[in-house]
Amino acid sequence: MNSKLWLAGLTALGAISAASGASADNEFAGVTVNVMTQTGAIQEPLARHAPEFEKLTGAKINIIAVPFSDLYQKVLTDWASGTNSVDAAVFAPQWMVDYVAGGYLEDITDRVAKDTALQWNDIGPFFRDFSAKYDGKTYLIPLDGDFHMLYYRSDVFKAAGLEPPKTWDEYLADAKALNGKDMNGDGTPDFGSCIAKKRNAQSYWFVTDVAGSMIQSKGTSQGTFFDTKDMKPLVNNDAFKKALEFLNESSKYGPPNELNMDVSDTRPLFVSGRCALNLDWGDVGTLSIDPKTSKVIGKWGAEIMPGSKQVLNWETGKLEDCTKDSCPYAVDGVNHAPFAAFGGWSGGINAHASDKVKDAAFAFLSYVGQPAQSGVDVTIGATGFNPYRISQLDYNDTWKKANMAESEAKVYLGAIKESLNNPNMILDLRIPQNQKYQQVTLDEALSRYLSGEIDEATAISTIESGWNDLNDQIGTDAQLKTYKATLGVQR
Amino acid sequence: MAVSENNLGELIDRHSGRIMVLPAVLVLLAFAIFPLIISAYLALSRFALAPGGFKLTFIGFYNFKRLLFGVQQYHLLGTFKPLGAIHWVLLLVAVALCVTWLWRYSRVKFSLVGFIGRLISAAFAVALWYFILASIGMGGVPGTLVTTFIYVAIGVTIQFGIGLGLALLCAQPIRARNWFRVIFFIPLIVTPVGIAYVFRMLADMQKGPFAPVSRALGLGEWAWSTEPWSARFMVIAGDTWQWTPFIFIVMLAAVENQPRDQVEAARIDGAGGWQIFRDITWPAIAPIAATVVLIRLIEAFKIIDLPNVLTAGGPGLSTESMTLHSFLAWRTQDLGGSAAVGYILLFASTITCVSFFNFVVTRARRHQV
Amino acid sequence: MSASDNRTLAQRLLEPKSVDAQALLPKIATYVVLLFWTLVVLFPLYWVLVTSFKSESDVFTGPFYLPFVDFQPNLDAWRFMLLENNTVWPYFNSVIVAVGSTGLAVLIGSLAAYALVRIQFRVKLAAIGCFLLLLAAVVVAVAALGIAWPIAAAVAIVLFVLFLGTIGRRFRLAVGNNDIEFWIISNRIMPPIVAVLPIYVMFQHLHLLDTQVALIATYTAVNLPIVVWLTRDFFAGIPLDLEESAEIDGASKFRVFFTIALPLVRSGLVATLLLVLILAWNEYLLALFLSNANAQTMPVLVSAQNTTRGPQWWYMSVLIVIMIAPVIVIATFLQKHIARGLLIGAVKG
Repeated sequence: MNSKLWLAGLTALGAISAASGASADNEFAGVTVNVMTQTGAIQEPLARHAPEFEKLTGAKINIIAVPFSDLYQKVLTDWASGTNSVDAAVFAPQWMVDYVAGGYLEDITDRVAKDTALQWNDIGPFFRDFSAKYDGKTYLIPLDGDFHMLYYRSDVFKAAGLEPPKTWDEYLADAKALNGKDMNGDGTPDFGSCIAKKRNAQSYWFVTDVAGSMIQSKGTSQGTFFDTKDMKPLVNNDAFKKALEFLNESSKYGPPNELNMDVSDTRPLFVSGRCALNLDWGDVGTLSIDPKTSKVIGKWGAEIMPGSKQVLNWETGKLEDCTKDSCPYAVDGVNHAPFAAFGGWSGGINAHASDKVKDAAFAFLSYVGQPAQSGVDVTIGATGFNPYRISQLDYNDTWKKANMAESEAKVYLGAIKESLNNPNMILDLRIPQNQKYQQVTLDEALSRYLSGEIDEATAISTIESGWNDLNDQIGTDAQLKTYKATLGVQR
Repeated sequence: MAVSENNLGELIDRHSGRIMVLPAVLVLLAFAIFPLIISAYLALSRFALAPGGFKLTFIGFYNFKRLLFGVQQYHLLGTFKPLGAIHWVLLLVAVALCVTWLWRYSRVKFSLVGFIGRLISAAFAVALWYFILASIGMGGVPGTLVTTFIYVAIGVTIQFGIGLGLALLCAQPIRARNWFRVIFFIPLIVTPVGIAYVFRMLADMQKGPFAPVSRALGLGEWAWSTEPWSARFMVIAGDTWQWTPFIFIVMLAAVENQPRDQVEAARIDGAGGWQIFRDITWPAIAPIAATVVLIRLIEAFKIIDLPNVLTAGGPGLSTESMTLHSFLAWRTQDLGGSAAVGYILLFASTITCVSFFNFVVTRARRHQV
Repeated sequence: MSASDNRTLAQRLLEPKSVDAQALLPKIATYVVLLFWTLVVLFPLYWVLVTSFKSESDVFTGPFYLPFVDFQPNLDAWRFMLLENNTVWPYFNSVIVAVGSTGLAVLIGSLAAYALVRIQFRVKLAAIGCFLLLLAAVVVAVAALGIAWPIAAAVAIVLFVLFLGTIGRRFRLAVGNNDIEFWIISNRIMPPIVAVLPIYVMFQHLHLLDTQVALIATYTAVNLPIVVWLTRDFFAGIPLDLEESAEIDGASKFRVFFTIALPLVRSGLVATLLLVLILAWNEYLLALFLSNANAQTMPVLVSAQNTTRGPQWWYMSVLIVIMIAPVIVIATFLQKHIARGLLIGAVKG
């Protein structure tokens, strides 16, 4: 027999068996699954994998994309009203708690245990144990790894004889020193620091980056939003004050319209070479190596989020110098607390879908998450997926194919690894109605403070009373219980 | 069979009036009155997710109390500061004007309904004036109610000014008049969401078309989006671009319809352009102008796309309109608060539009020769 | 400037040649202003058009103004939007929804407007009050007490009929045509945000969410007040005798309406039609709530181009261009009607 035919046959067989351990040929013929997610990134990889999956299993996958800002409410309205036209959704694990509270999300613990092709243990422990789980049960399949990192222009820092900042004070000093320099050779002065600060966008997370590194020093389970004793907001203290001041001062070294910039505005800015320093999710890394858009190929680096040499004394509300006891995880005397903001796009299944649809939906999400697909997706900027599997954190051929040089990979993947392995990682707030705490109360007060509408003291008292008010409305004891439960995850 | 058909036909004929109105009434009942009642219920309750769906808890006027007097007052009405001397005077002048107006009305002819209506209008105007004085006037921060009225008042005034001006120019004996007419109409047909994004593109001072201009003017370090008034101005600019055509096209038709012979007679008598406008054109077009402004007022209160897309309500609260306020509350599960804001907007715009209709539109029509 | 014009330069500049003409200087000023506004109107549209031919890096390293001069235009965005992306379906939805709802709104609205102009109505105030009370009671019963809605509705209807037949007859206070008209028009004041959630729940109960039917019905309701407002004056302007003679010949009111009244107000109807069509074609907020995948319309697709990685300007521009183009063509053809139609509506409205 012709050896070429043999080979082709073998590869085809391999593709089918690799696709999903659970699904045989045409197993889901006639089954239609509606998957809702956001437009653009995230939609792209799902839409790309849908026809492949359809070919393998006979299922019909409809990807319904809505703008990010409407996604949470669209899914919620569909499920809460009993419409149930959405069979599965890919969304932020932070929202899971609300969906679980309504009993809309399918518990997939057993399915995950049975699915070997998914290679669950390859998923980073943080995402496997935190993002995907609630109250000990697995509800989501992680498809993306999300936390904040620091990005800097290695060439600009080198030319100025500076090291990437380790603390927030150094960050400000570097931003100040580099602001106004021409960094992309177009003759116009560029900016020292670019941080998204737009209202009603994705910028409220950045205040937690700064405050958290001073509030939380004793490991993930210490928490950074509330006092685990009595659910008192950890806002009215010197650490939070300093975080507000940091953001305010960094505006001086940023673009003039920084207050109206979302991450979607700062990313192109960094990638086009106009920022010396930038805080963002992993996306900036994959965008920076994209030859189509990037002007900073080979000129950028990533680091774990800066930290602080002083941490908050929870009793007094004052900042104190780090000691062995107060900062057990400090590196060179600096306490870092990388923030797993948002938590990474993950897929969940509607508990009210029919069994066949649930099976197909799970198989599809599993297919997208399997290393064969996901390993490639996380190297492409347009997918919106960032590395979240252990196998993706080492430099390999897919990274090479994606145009990432080994030196860049070392820095980028190294920063991811360092953040992921940090025992002091900050968990995002995952108590019921967390959107009201963060997206409304925190975001609004922050935006008003940065625009000068209110002063620092008012901002702090607004957030504190707003959070207390929400606690009272929803039930302080219940919220405290959930808050502690989410932090109790053993890593 | 034939008989019953005939009977049916007769029946339809006898009630033809009712049958003609019935579909309209039914549609409005289903899509306006019924939702309004449900919304009223929502506004009086708290929405929470619960296993298997959701739960509504009746909480009375709590949502309204929070917005008007409680912790959310700064958001809807504004952050108030004590009035200064001048502001007190300004407020008292407004009160005095309203009282005089009511007094004069009650002396000429008095009807209880008319008096109560005027009382509501006057009280609302004074309250609004106080909100403006105590927030903007004293360096406080206006809430979404005041911001909405800023958009409505300034926006509609500018649009009317430009629309009327263009209509008067276009009515001159010039060439390519139809050309201008078609071109000026175009902005009206662009979807508002699209316009909002287009203006965001244009207003981008880094890579938008006006970036070199702002750099040349030395404004590189200044951004419109960080100052409340420049951000509001941007919103009004987009709104004006879209809605000026509406006023233009109607006013042009009105101007072209004015009594030609009177205008010519006045010209021969040597009357100037301004005189002709004041004595002939304006009285002829005033009723149409009033109606057009009313239609525009009604729509202007619903503004949401522009502030949402341009600045998402920022910086701070400064560009947030009431519809956006309600929308943002809805987006974060605060359905009760969202409905309450919607209701307050409904009251505010109803009072304004009905007042405008009663005191401006009807008067303008009455003066028509 | 001609030989016969022997006035001085100053005269020529400032004084008109005849009462109908403009002097030179004001004329120039007029053209300057009009051309300036033309620029104001066209520049944003020009920018959208060129952006649709730009690539991502053209946009982010811009501004670039002239295709072929300072950037190389490409058809990538067009190709993606028209061939790869599912744009055809939302476009089709938009057409169906806009045309369907406009047709319905104009039909229902003009019928009602005609009846309100020609027939005297008296609706008892007490009946309205009773109706509203019962409606509120039904809402409370269903929402708060958990009674099934068909039962509550049936009980309410029985009570309402009973009321009309008995106590209702005793009340005198009634509302007339003007009040009904005003009520219909006042519905337009309602901000859509107030009504959208109940409408959502309603369609969910009817299993019509995410269908074109839901959008057509909602848009019909939203635009109905405008139709009534505008068309009532067209009908009021028709001389009565035409219709009366037809009625003497035995034609029913419906026949009179369709064969005599409607054709007479053609011009106004066209204007109304176009205005309502534009409103329905461009509506965003309600479509966002009521549609997911199947009934998605173009405005939602436009705003969906705003992603976490920023607005995809090039895609968005393509969509805006293909949304505007057909309406410009229609508007250009019907332009004369619009002005005349709106004028009649506005004079008496």
